[in-house]
Amino acid sequence: MAIVKAVNTPARAAPISETSLVGWLRKNLFSSAINTVLTLFMAFIVYLIVSGVVVWGYLDATFVAENRRECFDNSLTGACWAGVIDWFDNIFYGRYPREEIWRINFGGLLLALWMAPLWITRVHGKILVGASVVALYPFLAGYLFSGGDKGLFVQVMVAGAILAFVINMANVVAGLVRNQSLDRLVIDLLGQANAPDKTQRNILLGLLAAGFAAAFLWQASWTVVGVSWTKWGGLFLTLVISGIGIASSLPGGIALALGRRSKLPVIRVLSTGFIEVFRSVPLITVLFMATTMFPLFMPEGFVLNKLVQVIIAVVLFNACYMAETVRAGLQAIPKGQFEGAHTIGLGYWGTMGLIIMPQALKHMIPNIVGSFIGLLKNSTLVSIIGLFDILLMLRSISRDVPWLGLHKEPLIFGAILFFIICFAMSKYSRHLEVTLSAGNKH
Amino acid sequence: MTDTTNQKAKVRVRPKEEFNFFQDQRVRSVFYQVVTAGIVGWLAWYLISNTATNLELRGMNTGFGFINSSAGFDTDFKLIEYTPGVGTYGRIFMIGALNTLLVSFLAIILSTVLGFFVGVMRLSPNWLVAKVALAFVEIFRNVPLLIQIVFWYIGVFSLLPVVKKSIDLSLGAERVILNNRGLYMATPVPGDLFWMTLVALAVAIGGVVYFRRRAHAKQEKSGVQTKTLLPSIAAIVLLPGAVFLATGMPLEWDVPVLAGFNYTGGTSVPPAFLALLVALSIYHAAAIAESVRAGILSVNRGQTDAAMSIGLKPDRVMGLVIIPQAMPAIVPPMISNWMDTVKNSSLAIAIGYSDIVSLFMQTALNQAGYAVEMVGMTMAFYMFISLTISFFLNIYNKRVQLVER
Repeated sequence: MAIVKAVNTPARAAPISETSLVGWLRKNLFSSAINTVLTLFMAFIVYLIVSGVVVWGYLDATFVAENRRECFDNSLTGACWAGVIDWFDNIFYGRYPREEIWRINFGGLLLALWMAPLWITRVHGKILVGASVVALYPFLAGYLFSGGDKGLFVQVMVAGAILAFVINMANVVAGLVRNQSLDRLVIDLLGQANAPDKTQRNILLGLLAAGFAAAFLWQASWTVVGVSWTKWGGLFLTLVISGIGIASSLPGGIALALGRRSKLPVIRVLSTGFIEVFRSVPLITVLFMATTMFPLFMPEGFVLNKLVQVIIAVVLFNACYMAETVRAGLQAIPKGQFEGAHTIGLGYWGTMGLIIMPQALKHMIPNIVGSFIGLLKNSTLVSIIGLFDILLMLRSISRDVPWLGLHKEPLIFGAILFFIICFAMSKYSRHLEVTLSAGNKH
Repeated sequence: MTDTTNQKAKVRVRPKEEFNFFQDQRVRSVFYQVVTAGIVGWLAWYLISNTATNLELRGMNTGFGFINSSAGFDTDFKLIEYTPGVGTYGRIFMIGALNTLLVSFLAIILSTVLGFFVGVMRLSPNWLVAKVALAFVEIFRNVPLLIQIVFWYIGVFSLLPVVKKSIDLSLGAERVILNNRGLYMATPVPGDLFWMTLVALAVAIGGVVYFRRRAHAKQEKSGVQTKTLLPSIAAIVLLPGAVFLATGMPLEWDVPVLAGFNYTGGTSVPPAFLALLVALSIYHAAAIAESVRAGILSVNRGQTDAAMSIGLKPDRVMGLVIIPQAMPAIVPPMISNWMDTVKNSSLAIAIGYSDIVSLFMQTALNQAGYAVEMVGMTMAFYMFISLTISFFLNIYNKRVQLVER
């Protein structure tokens, strides 16, 4: 007679040697004699470095002082952070007039608000949000930062940007409250849900035109004081250069990548040549080319300022790197997608715009974030040709009379700042990689 | 009957075959290409003609004649003979190119060794070792290279002791001396009969290679292992050593000696070189470590298990089973890293090491003008290096692919 149990015997708990802290230590740190020695040696090195850094950078450091002498009076062996703290405004905003700094902060806030909807699941029309950031925000921010009199073109673009921003915010509310896109909500509220498409479209266009008129009239009522680009600097300038760089290198890179994969030999050869030339030389030579040769390229009497030269160089350079990122993304798309698109009768642009690019871009987002990190790090090179970006600002501290010779602390501060930004972004891109690839596994 | 159906079919098909000029693919492709070529050509012509006008207006010199004219400035670090006022701009170009190649070559070797080491550390079963390697990679990867270079230069190598208080790295032998003026090393000067020692060394290496091949063949055949390591080392050390002693030690050292305010003699490198070398090596080691790690992880876990199950020790598993299989995944990103090293060595300009950019594209350009030619030559140099490296990379990739499939 067999005894049959109806329930499974519960699994025995893992032995204490596996689960306890001691077990973990034994397994991961002291599994063998060699490992023990290695662990102790490493722990010693880590202790030396960490204690050194903490003592120098915090315990013995001076945070409040008038000048370097006071730092030395306080402690000879500690860091002198007072110099860095004293220069905070310069490090972040350059020589931007102090009473106008709110414009930079406000511009940053606008950008954050503008892009925030991209991370809110319930918001509709994210592609439009993204496109408006790239196409309209730069004009608004550009005017906000540089100021002065508005030309007609700037007035139109600023009005458009303001309108886009207001619509964007209203769209967020519509998405959060009703889980609808804004246009649907407006139509519903007006009771036109059953009206023909054409009527609906006309209503929306009318509202848009009215909104634009209002925005145009409103923006005409104010101006901000002009600030020359020579006063821009610090982290702000670094972010402007890399922001413009990434925003315009993406479309440029897509165009070059499509050109490189084109079936038309002339276009393919030109794109490939362009990409390979810029990818095989260092950025600094491109920057030098921009500052020494662009003035020669321009027609007589036409002067580009240095900032524009640098931005053109950065954009050209990064577009070529972006092109390779895009190309890798395109190559990851199976051939069946192209064939499927052709079968339903789509032409080249239809295939690319509706079928291939949306899929490829999704694959590419982590790599694009990676290029942005690279671009941000590379943008410090503009300090070599004399733009007062964050690195040159940091290096200027040691030439300021009260802080003469203060080299190390500013550089370490800059390194920490870059580390935080780049590390956070690379973590985020890894997270994106995981979430995006999770959606692809069927 | 069949005839008429055919004719009807033909009639029905006909309108589709009608030649529509703008819908024809060949016409459109030619049209697009002509338009593109036209725009690019016009742009090129526009820029060139503007440049020509501007050069003329500013009275700037053009042409490559400057290469043979003498340059009036000196440089602190050069691998070939050069006298200011006599040496030409062509010579300056060569000095800069060699300096770039020297620092890149050394940085590539150091970063590859360090990168492999850290990459393997990243996968260590020892938690602390793995985390230390991770911290190393993340810290040095996420801080801009330029900041690191400037930091090593200003924060480390410029703060070294002054000449009078130099650090002796050779522990009292005064062969390797480090101070804030740079690193001074004794240089061996071979005497008359030194070639015999070299010949002995070559013979010893040849013998060892032959011996190891034999041992390997024997192992393949019979399974009997011969100890090769100790005899090999003995042969390589003893034979040339004996010849060296027998010929009366024909090797002298050109030792750096303190003369006045600085050391003279031996070989010396400036602090900028050291800072650039260290920063490049560490920065790229972090990148190489990541590709090594990814390459190792790409090898199937079962390979490790199988190798362990036939009784190989962990280090043999790594060396004989995992690394050889990981190489095809490691090498391409590693070589692209080497290319980046060469390109990034141009950041030398920030700390004044005389590489091709700072020497030729900045100093020489400021002295002589010729912006277009000099920028073009420098870019051509980098393109040549990149193309050469990617040429070899392609050969490697083809070989690896053939082996695999």
